[in-house]
Amino acid sequence: MDWKNKLLLSLATGLLLFNNLTYAGIKTLNIYTYDSFVSEWGPGPQLEKAFEAQCQCDIKFVAAEDGVSILNRMRIEGKKSKADVLLGLDNGLMEETRRLGFVKTHELPLDHLKAELNWQDKQFMPFDYGYFAFIYDSRKISQPANSLSELINSDVQVIYQDPRTSTPGQGLMTWMKAVYGDKTAEQWQQLAGHTVTVTKGWWEAYSMFLEGGSDYVLSYTTSPAYHAVVEGHNHYKAALFSEGHVTQTEVAAIAHTSQQPELAREFIRFLTSEAAQKIIPVTNWMLPVIDQVELPDAFDQLIQPEQIGFSPAEIAQQRKQWLREWRRSASQ
Amino acid sequence: MKPGSLFLIFLAYGLVMGITGLAFYGLAGFSQGGTDTLITPDLQLLNDPYIIQILLFSIKQAGLSALLSVLLAIPLARAIYFLPRLAGRTLFLKLCLLSFVMPTLVLITGLVALSGRSGLLTPWLGEDWNLYGLQGILLAHIYLNMPLAVRVLCQQLNHIPDTSWRLAQQLKFNRWQLFYRVEWPAVQQTIWLLLAFIFVLCFNSFAVVLALGGGPASTTLEVAIYQALKYDFNLSEALTLAWLQFLIAGLIFLVMARMGKVRWLSADTHSQRWQPQWPVWQRHVYSAGYYLSWLVLLLPMIALLPSVIDARVEQISLAVMLDSTLYSLLLASGSAILATLLAWWLLLAVRHAVNVHKPGWRVLFQWLATHTLVAPAMVLSTGLYILLLPLIDLERWGITWLLLLNSVLLLPFVVSQIQPRLLQFDQQYHYLAQNLKLSPVQSVQVIWPFVRPVISSAFSLALLLALGDVAVFSIFGGSERMTLPWLIYSYAGSYRIAEAALVSLLLLALCAILVWLFERSYHRPVKGTAAAPRNSTSEYNKQET
Amino acid sequence: MSEGLLINRLIVNYGVSDLHYQLNVEPGECLAIQGESGVGKTTLLYVIAGFQAACQGEVLWQGRDILMLQADQRPVSMLFQEYNLFEHLTVWQNLILGFHDSVPEQALRQAAEQLLVAEQLNKLPGELSGGQRQRIGLIRTLLRPEPLILLDEPFAELDAKTRQLAAQWVREVALKENKTLLLVTHHQEDVEIVADRKWVLTGESF
Repeated sequence: MDWKNKLLLSLATGLLLFNNLTYAGIKTLNIYTYDSFVSEWGPGPQLEKAFEAQCQCDIKFVAAEDGVSILNRMRIEGKKSKADVLLGLDNGLMEETRRLGFVKTHELPLDHLKAELNWQDKQFMPFDYGYFAFIYDSRKISQPANSLSELINSDVQVIYQDPRTSTPGQGLMTWMKAVYGDKTAEQWQQLAGHTVTVTKGWWEAYSMFLEGGSDYVLSYTTSPAYHAVVEGHNHYKAALFSEGHVTQTEVAAIAHTSQQPELAREFIRFLTSEAAQKIIPVTNWMLPVIDQVELPDAFDQLIQPEQIGFSPAEIAQQRKQWLREWRRSASQ
Repeated sequence: MKPGSLFLIFLAYGLVMGITGLAFYGLAGFSQGGTDTLITPDLQLLNDPYIIQILLFSIKQAGLSALLSVLLAIPLARAIYFLPRLAGRTLFLKLCLLSFVMPTLVLITGLVALSGRSGLLTPWLGEDWNLYGLQGILLAHIYLNMPLAVRVLCQQLNHIPDTSWRLAQQLKFNRWQLFYRVEWPAVQQTIWLLLAFIFVLCFNSFAVVLALGGGPASTTLEVAIYQALKYDFNLSEALTLAWLQFLIAGLIFLVMARMGKVRWLSADTHSQRWQPQWPVWQRHVYSAGYYLSWLVLLLPMIALLPSVIDARVEQISLAVMLDSTLYSLLLASGSAILATLLAWWLLLAVRHAVNVHKPGWRVLFQWLATHTLVAPAMVLSTGLYILLLPLIDLERWGITWLLLLNSVLLLPFVVSQIQPRLLQFDQQYHYLAQNLKLSPVQSVQVIWPFVRPVISSAFSLALLLALGDVAVFSIFGGSERMTLPWLIYSYAGSYRIAEAALVSLLLLALCAILVWLFERSYHRPVKGTAAAPRNSTSEYNKQET
Repeated sequence: MSEGLLINRLIVNYGVSDLHYQLNVEPGECLAIQGESGVGKTTLLYVIAGFQAACQGEVLWQGRDILMLQADQRPVSMLFQEYNLFEHLTVWQNLILGFHDSVPEQALRQAAEQLLVAEQLNKLPGELSGGQRQRIGLIRTLLRPEPLILLDEPFAELDAKTRQLAAQWVREVALKENKTLLLVTHHQEDVEIVADRKWVLTGESF
C-alpha cells in the first residue's frame, strides 16, 4: 500500500470514528432551538453543562435559524422528528404549534413563576421574557418620548424591523394594534414619515442604530443591561411608554415525538430553576421568569413597564390582516 | 464525442437539473395533512395588487441598477483602456473584483457608516439626503455590480486588434467614427449581456433591498417568497411567486443567452499595442473620474475601521476566528472546485453544439447550465431541505448538500467566465485539433495552457463568492462549526456589533488576499507557454531589436 | 476501382448555389487545383477532410467512402489557410502534435533545417513571420503519417526564393513517402514544381 492509500484509509477511519462517537449507555436529549441560543455567548453551553451535571444524560442541541425555523422543521419532519424538547418558540408561535399538535402537556407546577406573567399554559413553559421598547442614546436625547403616541407624532428618526420577517417587528405591530385598535392605519402612516428604514431582522436595525443611523430603534427593555454589563456603557436607555408595553415570552415544550418525556420534563423544570434563571438573563439578555434571581445591578435599573397586548390565540387569528394593514399604510 | 465525456455531460446536466427539479418537487410534493396530491400554484395571487406592486418595484429597481451600473462602467473602462499612464490600473481591476464579491452584509454596514444619518460623508450630501429608499438600493447595487461591468468591458476592449486601430488611423476616422466603428462593435454585445446579467442579479436581490429599502414600499419578490416560505409556511403561495420570478428572470435571461452570439473580434495575435491619443482635456476628465472611483470603491471598506476600534479584542477568541477562517476556506474551495469541474463538463455540450452548428441546442444547453442564476436561491435551498430532511440525516450529510447546492448556484458565474475562452479555442483550433487527431491526453495538454488563466480566474471568482455564502449555510450548515459570514451573524445577533465589524474586516481581508493571489497567478507566464500572448514581454523585445 | 481518391458526383451546398465535383486522383499523385476565388477550392478540401457536409455523392479513398467518417477518423493531413499553429504552444510543441505512436523528431528537425526555420523551434508562433509560420505548418502536415495530404495555398506568404525551396521540399517528401497530395494554389510555378497534373475548377456543372 502506498502512502496515498494509507492517508485515505486513515482519513476514512477517522471520519467513521468521528461519526459514531456516541456515549454508550447514556440517554441523549435532543433539543431543537435557535442558533444564537447555542452560540458561544448564548445560554446554551452553560445550561448544557449545568443540566448534564445533574441528569446523567447528554444534551444534543439542534439549531435552526430562529424560532420560526424550529416550527418549520417540526412541520417538515412530522412524525419522524427526533426532537425531545422545543426550546425558543415564542408567544407568537405558540398557538400554531399547539394547533399542529407538536407538543405534549408538561404537567409541571406554575406557581413559582412571576405573578405578572399570569402563566396558565399546560403545554408551554416560559423560560424568559422581555418587553419590546424603543432604545435611545441618552447622550443625544435628553427628553425621550414618554408615550408611543408622542414618538409617532414627533419627527425623531426611527428604525424598526419588518413584521413580515422578524419577531420584534411583529411585536411592534401587536403593540400598535393594542394601543390604537381600528385607528392603527393612520398611525402607521404617521410613523412612516419619520422612519429611517425597516430592516429584515433585529441585528441589522440595532447595528444601524449603534452606528448613529437613527434616534430610536425597536428592541427590548433589557438591551441597556447588555451595554452596562458587558461594555460598561450606561448611556443607552429604553424609553418608558405610558400606554404600556407588549411582551415577548420565550417558551419551551415537550415535543410530541419524544420517546423520553420524563427526561424532557426534567429539563423544562430545570429551565425555570434558580440555577438556569441566573444564566439566561445575562446570556440571552431577557428577563428571568421567576422572582428573586440574583442578577447584575444593571437589571435593577431597567424600566418596569406595564404589560398590554393580546393573547397568543388572538395574535394567531389576526396576524395576516394586521400585516396587510401595515403593508398598505406604511408604504405610502 | 467519446463515451467518457458523454457520461460526464449526462452526469453534470442530470445533477444541475436534478437539484432544481428536486427542490421544486420538494415544495410541491410536501403533504402536510397526509394527502398525496401535488400542491398547485395559487393563481389568485396574480390579482393581488400587493404582488403587482412588488413585481413592478422589483423590475424598476433592477432595471435602474443595471442601466446605471453599465453607464458608469463604460467611461471608466475606456479610461483604463485608453490611458495607460493611469496609476494603479491593475490594482484597480483587483479592487473591482473585491467590490463585486463583497458580502452584502459588510457592504451595508459600510454604506450606513458612510452615508447613513450620521455617516462620515452625510454632512456634505445636502439637506435632503436620505440613504434609505430607492437611492440606497441603487447605491448598493451599483457598488456591487458596476465594478463587474468595468472588468468585463476592459477585457472586451483589450480584444480589439491593433490592426483595427491602425486601419482606422489610415482611414482618418474622426473621434465619433473611432467610437462607433471600432469600440462599439467590440463591446456592444457585452453591454447587452451585462445589462441582463446585472438585471437578474438585482431582480433577485434580498438583503440589500430589505436593509436599505426604507419600508414595505421597497419590496422584491424574493422578500415575498421568504415571507411565504418561512413565516407563513404557505407553500402554495411560495410556489406561485417562485414560478413568477423564475419565469420573468428566466425570460430575460433567455433573451440574453440568445443575444450573446458567438462572435469574437480577434484571435490572439502578437502585435504591439497601439491606440489613438486622446485630447488633453478629455484625458484629464477621464483621469479625474478614474481616481474618484478609487475613492468611492475604497470608502465603504475604510468606513468599517472606526467601529472595529470599539471591539473588545480580549473577548474575541482567536481560535474561533482561525477555525472559522479555515472552515470557510475549506467549504468555499470545495464548492468552487466542484463548480469549475461541473462547468467544464456542462460546456462540453455547449461547445459541441457550436461546433456542429446547432444554435438552438447551444442556447438550450447554455440556459440549462446557468439557469440557477434565475431560480430563486431560497426556493432551491428550502425545497431541497423540505425534501431531504425526512429522508436523510442532515446533521451528517448536510455539508455534502451544501457543497452541491453552492456549486450549482456558482455555475452561472463560472460558466460565463470560461465559456468565451473555450469557444474561442474551438473557433480557432477545432478543425486543427480534429485534423491532428489529438488523443484525449494530448487534447488536455493543448487546451490547458490556453484556458488556464480563465479557469484560474473563474475558480477564484467562485471561491470568493462561496466565501460570502450565508443563505445556503443557514439551512444546511451544521451548528458545530461556523463559517466567517455566519460568525458575523452570530456576533451581530448577540449585540456584539463591533466584533461583527472586526470579523467583517477579516473576511474582507481574506477576500483581498485571495484576489491578490489569483490575479497574480493570472499574469504569471508559464514555462513553455505565454499566459497572455498579447501582453507577453517577448513581443516588446522583438519590437525593440 | 481506383486505389487512390475518387470523388464521384459530389454535390456540396454553397450558399444559394450548389457546387459539383467529379475527380479521380491516383495513389501517390500530386494534383494542383486552380480556379478563381469563390469557385469552391477550399470547400472541396473541407469536404474531404470532414469539416463540411456533402449533399450527395461519394468521396472514396482506397475504395471506401470516407464521408461517413468523423473528421478525426479520416486518413487526411491538412494545412489550413490560417490557424495551423496553437499560439500558446511553442513551435516545437506544435510540430510534435498529430503523430500517433512515435514522433519522428529527427525528420522534423532535418526538415526545419532544410526550410531554414531550425532557429525558431523554441519560440512561440507569434514571434515568427508569416512565412516562417507557414513553413512550420507545412513540415508537420507533410511528415504526419496520413497518406492523403491537403494543402490550401501553402506558399502564399513566402518570398520567391523560399517558395521554390518549400515547393521542392514538398515534392521530394511526397514522392519519398508516397503521399497522395492535393494542392490549392494560384501560382503556375508551384504547379510546375510540385504537381503531376493540374485541374482547373470552373464552378460549372459536370
